Amino acid sequence: MRLAVLFKFAKVLMISRLRSTRRSIVSRSITSRPILIGLIGIVLFVAALLFGYLTTVFLSSGGAPLTGPVAHQLVVTIFGGVPLFLVGFYFTMGLLWEVNASTEAESTDAINWLPITPGEYVAASALSTGYTYSPLLMVAFGYALPIGILTGNLAGFLVLVPIALLSTSVGSVSVEILRSALASASTAFNKLGGRITVIMRILGIILILLVTQLLFSGVFLIQIISSLVGTAAAASFVPVFWPTLAITKLLQSDFLGSAGFLGLSIALFLLLSYIALSLRAKYWAVTPGAIHFAGAGSVSGPSRLGYLGLSSPSIAMLKREIRSATRRKEVVRLMAIPIIMPIMISFPAIFSPAPSSTSGPAQIDPIFLVIPFLFGIGLGSLFLGMTSIGQEGRRLWNISALPVSANMLVKSKLLFTFLVSSIGLGLGAVVSALLLHASIFVILGFLGLGFVVILAEASLGIAVGSRFPDFSDGPRPRFVTVVGSIIGAVLGIVEMAIMALPLILSLILRTFLSILLPLQFVLALSGAVAGLLAWIAYSMSIKPVESILSELPN
Amino acid sequence: MATFGPAIDVSHLGKVYGPTVALNDVTLSVNTGEVRGLLGPNGSGKSSLMKTIMGLTKPSYGSIQVLGYDVRASPMDIKKIVGYVPESPRLYEFLTATEYLDFIADVRGLPYEQKKERIARFVDALDLEGKQGDMISSYSQGMKQKVAIIGALLHRPRVLLMDEPLNGLDPKSARLVKELIHGFAKEGVSVIFSTHILEIAEAICDKLTILQSGKILAEGTSKDLRENAGLPGSGLEDVFLKLTGTKGVEDIVEALIR
Repeated sequence: MRLAVLFKFAKVLMISRLRSTRRSIVSRSITSRPILIGLIGIVLFVAALLFGYLTTVFLSSGGAPLTGPVAHQLVVTIFGGVPLFLVGFYFTMGLLWEVNASTEAESTDAINWLPITPGEYVAASALSTGYTYSPLLMVAFGYALPIGILTGNLAGFLVLVPIALLSTSVGSVSVEILRSALASASTAFNKLGGRITVIMRILGIILILLVTQLLFSGVFLIQIISSLVGTAAAASFVPVFWPTLAITKLLQSDFLGSAGFLGLSIALFLLLSYIALSLRAKYWAVTPGAIHFAGAGSVSGPSRLGYLGLSSPSIAMLKREIRSATRRKEVVRLMAIPIIMPIMISFPAIFSPAPSSTSGPAQIDPIFLVIPFLFGIGLGSLFLGMTSIGQEGRRLWNISALPVSANMLVKSKLLFTFLVSSIGLGLGAVVSALLLHASIFVILGFLGLGFVVILAEASLGIAVGSRFPDFSDGPRPRFVTVVGSIIGAVLGIVEMAIMALPLILSLILRTFLSILLPLQFVLALSGAVAGLLAWIAYSMSIKPVESILSELPN
Repeated sequence: MATFGPAIDVSHLGKVYGPTVALNDVTLSVNTGEVRGLLGPNGSGKSSLMKTIMGLTKPSYGSIQVLGYDVRASPMDIKKIVGYVPESPRLYEFLTATEYLDFIADVRGLPYEQKKERIARFVDALDLEGKQGDMISSYSQGMKQKVAIIGALLHRPRVLLMDEPLNGLDPKSARLVKELIHGFAKEGVSVIFSTHILEIAEAICDKLTILQSGKILAEGTSKDLRENAGLPGSGLEDVFLKLTGTKGVEDIVEALIR
């Protein structure tokens, strides 16, 4: 293995990541240097130091040093959580990076024809992944250091450092395995047929997003760590827990057990590295799949959507949107967000510790249910709407050269966002009914308001996204500029606050003045406000879309 | 409302992108049924001129009329009657060829039977038969070019704007496209056609326009251009090089291979 080539290649990969993600908010001179990541890491380390110190101070009573069972529990939870979190984080972030890559960019990767060995490729790519997400490692170290010192566990911290580094390596190398496996799976799916590939991709991305959300769910992570401390025997057979067990055993003064799990962790890393290298050697370059769709070789007949009053051009535009969203890897994730948002939002409720009483499930206040669900779906619709114009990319000429008006384009984007978000809304209704035991009355109200909220937020998203589109077709296209994303997010939240005003007012009246407004009335009022906002946002989106269609971006 | 006169009438057209002048006071008139060849070095303004006529970019000044429709006032009317093939077309790679053409036909409002018959005929003629169910992402550059050409012809346009349409085509398909251009012109379709292959330009174009730095350098039949350059009987390449002021090619080559 040529070390000079390895480091040079790792640097190129890092620069590629920096430039494809931060180009419009940081000057080119800084983004072109990987040292930026190091600087971010240092800043986050200092911030985490302070936060870790404050945590210890907060938990210690009256300024006395933190000792006893509380200190032990804190150290075990934090130190034990760091390796598990790092493995999961590196793996998931690496995976998300892969998911966001455009298929067109993958096969044109210069690495496919350069004289680099599989070993160099795997090592450089893992190193690049490790360094790219190193600011999180710095946060973990910064947060754990004051806790280790102030609870008298500095030795534990010193052992945590190499174990955490080992965990990041395990996560990074696992991504390499997954990359090769994905290349292999793509080939296998292509042989199966087009639609299966598309469905597997959508399900895979939804699963990734759910796992990511679980990973960041503190309640879920603490539950795992608690179960590890209690029933270590079962966890011993799960390799991903070995680095965590190495540190928790040490903290329990089980030095032999700690050394054993440390050895197992190292062995795991070596095994994963070997598998990554072997798979990379076998499935080297990703070539765009020649996906064949059964029946896609014949033209379409009259669509049933025509019965809904949609014209033939409108149906064609809608079908194009659906195919783009389900077949373009970089777009599937956007579509998945409003669909899974209700499930993600209900995680805290689902993973909350079970109530000690056995008096049956508690009914949730309808207003507390409606607000987060609708806001979740609203945010998903806003996001999907905002990215909808930019995702046309350099293919925009296809639409510009056709007799397609701005109205028709905006309507097709709106209709598509509405359809996708409605799936999320339906899922939200099911989750509310089955897991959170909401009444049918509440669910129907929630659905009615939800449809208008989707229209309002999607229209706003299109209005902002068409003013700040990002048509660049980089390896990881963003579709909306950073400035546009910030403006859109702020306006989206403001719009949701305005739509929620009747609900909030009714809550205030009920709590402080004991005035009970009928829920139907409150929901209808919110719906009317949302409808008005949808119309305003829709009107605002026409002009910029007209401008885009008559002046193709250079 | 469309009126009689030249099919394409460009008058004192200018297009400026920031500090770059893409088109500088261009005046051009293409008659009904005429095939006009656009020649010029890279960056001379050929693609900008076609995009501006198509309404894909706004003129900075001047006017454009296509079959009597003003490009600023009636862009939708123009898009309905014009077929356009851009240079290096970026198609919807996530669609199959049939899905792409089906989409184009539906947006252009072609009835089912007509679209079915036309797509089948073009796919067969351009040797895409058997591949039309594959995603365009798996196509070669030439196959993508064929799909783009079919997309521009499906609705039987009255005006064709083709920016280097023969790029990447195999000899049979290139010949077919050339014959198609001739055939459409005979039916009264006006064509603007840009190419770097001067023999093709001479063979299929009624008139040629040479652009350089966004300005029209010379215009007329190939015979007119030869006389203009003072090179009667010479090849079009020599005429082109003389008119565009390209000198000392041999010296440059010698320096490069040394």
